[in-house]
Amino acid sequence: MKSPMRMVVAGIAVTALAGSLGACSGDSGEADGTTTVSFLSWTGQEQMEPMIEAFEAENPDVTIEASYSPPVAEYIQTLQTRVLSGTAPDVFVVAAENKTNLIEAGAVVDLSGEPFMEGIQQFNLDTYGRDGAEYGLSLSSWAAGYAYNKEMLADVGYDGIPETWDEFLVMLQDLQDAGYTPFLESVDQMPTTVSAMLGAKTSQSDPSVDDQIFDGSSTFAEQWTPILEEYNRLYTEGLVSADVVALDGDQVRDEFANERVAVINAGPWIINAVQEANPELDWEFGQVPGLPDGMPFQAGAAAPGYAISASSDEETQEAAKTFLTWLASEQGVEMFHEATNDVTVTENFTPEVDPVFEPMVEPIRDGDLYLPMIAWQRDEDVLNVEAVAQVQRMIQGQIGPEDVAAALDAKLSS
Amino acid sequence: MTTLTTPTSSGASAPTARKRRRRSVEGGWKQITINRAFLIPAIVVFVFLFVVPLLQGLYWSFTDFTGYSPEANFIGWDNYVQILNDPSMLSGLTFTLLFAVGTTLLVTCLAIPLAVQLNKAFVGRNVVRSLWFFPAVPSMAILGLVWSYILSPLPSGVLNTLLSNWFGIEAVSWLSDNTLARFSVIMVGVWAQTGWHAVLYLAYLQSIPQEYYEVAKIDGASPRQQFFAITLPLLMPAMVVSSFLLLTNGLKVFDLPYTLTNGGPGFATYTITQSLVVTGVGQGEYGLSSALAVMFTVAVGVIGFTQLRITSRIGRRFA
Repeated sequence: MKSPMRMVVAGIAVTALAGSLGACSGDSGEADGTTTVSFLSWTGQEQMEPMIEAFEAENPDVTIEASYSPPVAEYIQTLQTRVLSGTAPDVFVVAAENKTNLIEAGAVVDLSGEPFMEGIQQFNLDTYGRDGAEYGLSLSSWAAGYAYNKEMLADVGYDGIPETWDEFLVMLQDLQDAGYTPFLESVDQMPTTVSAMLGAKTSQSDPSVDDQIFDGSSTFAEQWTPILEEYNRLYTEGLVSADVVALDGDQVRDEFANERVAVINAGPWIINAVQEANPELDWEFGQVPGLPDGMPFQAGAAAPGYAISASSDEETQEAAKTFLTWLASEQGVEMFHEATNDVTVTENFTPEVDPVFEPMVEPIRDGDLYLPMIAWQRDEDVLNVEAVAQVQRMIQGQIGPEDVAAALDAKLSS
Repeated sequence: MTTLTTPTSSGASAPTARKRRRRSVEGGWKQITINRAFLIPAIVVFVFLFVVPLLQGLYWSFTDFTGYSPEANFIGWDNYVQILNDPSMLSGLTFTLLFAVGTTLLVTCLAIPLAVQLNKAFVGRNVVRSLWFFPAVPSMAILGLVWSYILSPLPSGVLNTLLSNWFGIEAVSWLSDNTLARFSVIMVGVWAQTGWHAVLYLAYLQSIPQEYYEVAKIDGASPRQQFFAITLPLLMPAMVVSSFLLLTNGLKVFDLPYTLTNGGPGFATYTITQSLVVTGVGQGEYGLSSALAVMFTVAVGVIGFTQLRITSRIGRRFA
């Protein structure tokens, strides 16, 4: 029964098992003195790999073990599972959708005071911070406004998007009278127009609109209803079809690229697709016009930030900080910009963007951006789902603007 | 079927006969044990992939578990109360039931006549069968994305362009009107599933002996009478299977409405499963999502069991 061969096999099995268990113990220090940092990337492998190779070439004592998960839902779910099972990656991304849960669960390290956080735009630091702590290294931001067909606007006497909402509505009427479809906006997410108008309002408020709502001194009904009433004029005055409730961003983009609509809501993500579909199109971006008591503004947010897992050991956290230091360096930011085409917001590098998007660069680098889901202090996704559905119902004429705001108040209090 | 033993006239010898029969049929306790051992893998899979998650979900449904922290506080029935007071979840329940019942009825009504036609001999029969079966091959998510372009409410939408060019009809709000959006989702679901279920019925049709039809013809039965007196009753077992699959798949539907309408406009085509995913994964409210899952599991169980009982009873009546 207990033959020598069987004893040898058993011994090898036990040794192998012990070895594999040791590998799973979380000790990332290698025998050759290098430290392995696990990294769950939000950015695709094709874009991220050159950056990792460049980092490892400069830092041979740190090895990045990258895995990839596409944003948004799949990434959030993968990260959530790994955090809960105690196998969180050492470096991952904190995004609008998970920042509250990650911070409240104590899953991320406070990065405030770290040298690599110094050159980052304050807006980005605030986005992924709370109570003075900073949890995410966000290198870039995005903005969405209006993309417009210059020829169509010139045909009715305009050389750009007007600065006020009333003038904009007059322009849409002129376009409609001239036989053009004046405006399309996808509302499968929070409408760009509403976000920008709220952004203009909150930038002029102290405390901010959301601080007032979430500390109970104001309500959605009080803050949102006037803006929703103005936004709803697009539909009640017959300037835009209620059919937009069934359109996604790609369909709206295709209509614009094929010159079937004069103005659409859009962000930098449409640039390549539009230019490929219609290289001859003469177009540009512009800000969302301001209400009488507001100013032109844009929807947007800080890009998801790199965070360090609180469950990683001290040595690995130090190695992770080395990685983040390199990402925030001039070389790292430049490579990041070239790989992703994002508008970076660090002091050490000035990005070059496509000329059609130039009008949006300054607001991005100044942090003049607003997205309700980012600004809300809790229940972000719950409120966002509710807001999108209720805005769609408002556009269909089933409910009024005040009902949308009331539904959000009810959701917040539930 | 022939019996293995002959009836005995004496009552005392009956148990002995039964024992002998069991041993001869099943091979004794050793054979029984070996046979039942083959069930162990299935039982293990059932316990670990169904019973354990179900019990874990039941536990979480009474907590505020977020999915990020292992901490979960007991909060009693709060999650269940919140679900019953949430209009979006009730709307999701309504459309889910509408989709399940609607697709079950329509697919059944269309698949049986289609199967009868596909069972007849004609040139290119196999090609036609393949064409009908094809919509069942791609995933519902892909079909949803494709149909979102076909049913786009814009004048440039594929269907609207055809309607305009051929009949001069103005653009129809296929996906932007609540009623039409619900109708569109159900119709795409019916289109995608009819061929598959027709093939299922076809398999049963081919097992019906031709002699029945020959005798009916001699007796002067019309094709309609043959269908209702022979075909339909003998298809009852297939209808039980088909309608059960349609109903349970309809209750679990997620990918088609999600990609075709994303649950909109508003909550018009929102489904329970979309609510589960959005609440659990998107919003990190695993406790709430688990409570919804528990309620949904019970509802699906009750509906599925009831449907099975009804169709089985009808089947026995026709048998």
